Amino acid sequence: MLTLGQRTSAVPASRRFRPMVMVLPWLACVLGALLVHFGLPLLGVDEYWQSVLRRAGVLMIAAVSLNIVNGYAGQFSMGHAGFMAIGGYVAAAITYYGSLFFHGSAGDPAFAAQGTGLMLAGILLGALVAAGAGYLVGLPSLRLRGDYLAIVTLGFGEIIRVLLELTPSQIDTAAAVREHPIRALISLNGPTGFYGVPAYATLFWVWLLVLVTCVVAYRVKQSSSGRAFLSIREDEIAARSMGIDLTRYKVRAFVLAAFFGGVAGAVYAHTGANPSPQDAGFQRSFDIIIFVVLGGLGSLSGAALSALLLSLLGEVLRGPGPVLDAWAYCLAAAAALGIGAAVLRGLRNRGWVVVAAMAMIPVLLLGFAVLSGWAKARLGIDLGEYRLVLYAIMLILVMLLRPNGLLGVREIWELFGPMTDADKRRRTLGSGGPGGPGGGT
Amino acid sequence: MSDLLLNARGMGIAFGGLKAVQDLTVQVPAGGLHGLIGPNGAGKTTAFNLLTGVYRSQTGSIELDGRRVDGLRPHEIARAGMSRTFQNIRLFGELSVLDNVRLACHVRGRHSILETVLRLPGFVAQEAAMRDRAMELLEVFGLESMAGEQAKGLPYGDQRRLEICRALATEPRVLLLDEPAAGMNPSEKQALARTIREIRDRFGLAILLIEHDMSLVMEICEKITVLDHGCPIAFGEPSMIQNDPKVCEAYLGQPAVAEGEP
Repeated sequence: MLTLGQRTSAVPASRRFRPMVMVLPWLACVLGALLVHFGLPLLGVDEYWQSVLRRAGVLMIAAVSLNIVNGYAGQFSMGHAGFMAIGGYVAAAITYYGSLFFHGSAGDPAFAAQGTGLMLAGILLGALVAAGAGYLVGLPSLRLRGDYLAIVTLGFGEIIRVLLELTPSQIDTAAAVREHPIRALISLNGPTGFYGVPAYATLFWVWLLVLVTCVVAYRVKQSSSGRAFLSIREDEIAARSMGIDLTRYKVRAFVLAAFFGGVAGAVYAHTGANPSPQDAGFQRSFDIIIFVVLGGLGSLSGAALSALLLSLLGEVLRGPGPVLDAWAYCLAAAAALGIGAAVLRGLRNRGWVVVAAMAMIPVLLLGFAVLSGWAKARLGIDLGEYRLVLYAIMLILVMLLRPNGLLGVREIWELFGPMTDADKRRRTLGSGGPGGPGGGT
Repeated sequence: MSDLLLNARGMGIAFGGLKAVQDLTVQVPAGGLHGLIGPNGAGKTTAFNLLTGVYRSQTGSIELDGRRVDGLRPHEIARAGMSRTFQNIRLFGELSVLDNVRLACHVRGRHSILETVLRLPGFVAQEAAMRDRAMELLEVFGLESMAGEQAKGLPYGDQRRLEICRALATEPRVLLLDEPAAGMNPSEKQALARTIREIRDRFGLAILLIEHDMSLVMEICEKITVLDHGCPIAFGEPSMIQNDPKVCEAYLGQPAVAEGEP
């Protein structure tokens, strides 16, 4: 078994470079975003649920980006909302004051095209400023681990919150902005929060950025840098002995996470929400940590899915009425399909168990809607009032049943199907299915 | 003495009042296979930590292929060409077997984030090369069929061998093995001894080995250094070491009344 093969050590990289592989995912992002933008209204999703989906998209970007530092690199950051707030305020100021500066008023439909351009510039700049902040926080935090790092990052978020509260009040006339453009940029309206940012972030833009963030996070995970992140999380001592520069990769994780956190905040500021200093606070950071932990630390699809599902869940629990709309039946049909597929496969494969569990969610939601309708009619109890309790109970249940989160470090498509590298390896090498026992010695 | 790949002279470190290692000299030529033995707590692993930069040696100097490496940080030493395994296995448990090895190939690569995100040709070629190299190393150790398994799911002996495999992926000149045979049965130990010799010959390594299994050490090591209470007490060929009264004393605690082998 241990004899040496006579292979030469220089096996040429036989795989050819394929330009389409480089471009295709980005095209898919645009296509997917277009599909969401134009497809959902056709399915009868009303404006209210569209706004819920925009908000959910923001949280997905936030969760996927936080997952880079908390999940991949294992550095527990509790200040993600701080980065989001930085991105949000920078982008909001650029769009709002930019509109005043160039057009004289903000939110004029005639200025929408240029306004969207301003928004994109604001998102990019906000993300860059947030990334800079990530660098500043990452650098001194490197000597800290675990709880200590968490406390430092927590402090960072609070600092941002207090700084934002101390900013001067907003300028709302074009003349004043043109007179003092620099001064305008730091007039962020203190504790009341920034208002009047036009809602240029349509479903298309939000979901385009969601998909782009996912592609970037996935590519990073599937790369040498991503493996370096994971190795730091697994064992710092072994990682540095294998030549991983801990400082460089921890900072890199912080900067990447902060960049896309900034994107999330910037998009949020353009969804019609008023960015306020509270957005930088601990509470918001914690919400995102829940998504990441629940989805599985290190699992990109886990973070994205739990952010999406929990946002929808929160809305459904608020008032179960809208669930009974047409698109809910689509969800239920998908659920039935998932369960059916799982049953057909005999649940032999762990992946299908997860699918079945996921597919159960819409069914449970519909069940809940029926139940709460009954409770309201017969008992006079509005279950919507208890939504936070129900939400908490669900979190507790997941943590009890799957302490590593729904997916652990894996991606949902890694659990089944022939799509991933790992599966291809298993197949070509002919050793057991996923989750099967190792080949033995 | 210029053909010494590893040339560490007079290393020492004290933790407070405890002199963990004192005046230790380790010199291994290219293609050499040396052993480092001693009773529990003698400072063997501390010596490895000094060599790999986990601790900084307070005295002496460490040269790797003629280049001073003392004072460098661990990842820089790994890059300079010294790699190690750990006494208590430190694999990246959640990662796959392939990724454990592929990760260690990282040392020899370039990794800009832009290239990674855009999947530029250079990045793609490098990833493919790393993967090929990792698979090849796994084949050397007969682990290729488990490439997709999680490292923590491997049987114990395979985990030990995977660690050696991972250490080799950094393309070292000097390899430090910390109790590679711990927990293995006799036939596995025999196979391991063969592998160690083979990788030394194939990659032209200098190997330094910590091991408690005396038959293994005596069989494969050309020279042995014995440590006791942090001090080197003997150095020489296995036959010399076996008959050294000071070594017997260190192991058995009685002056020169050696019954059987230590």
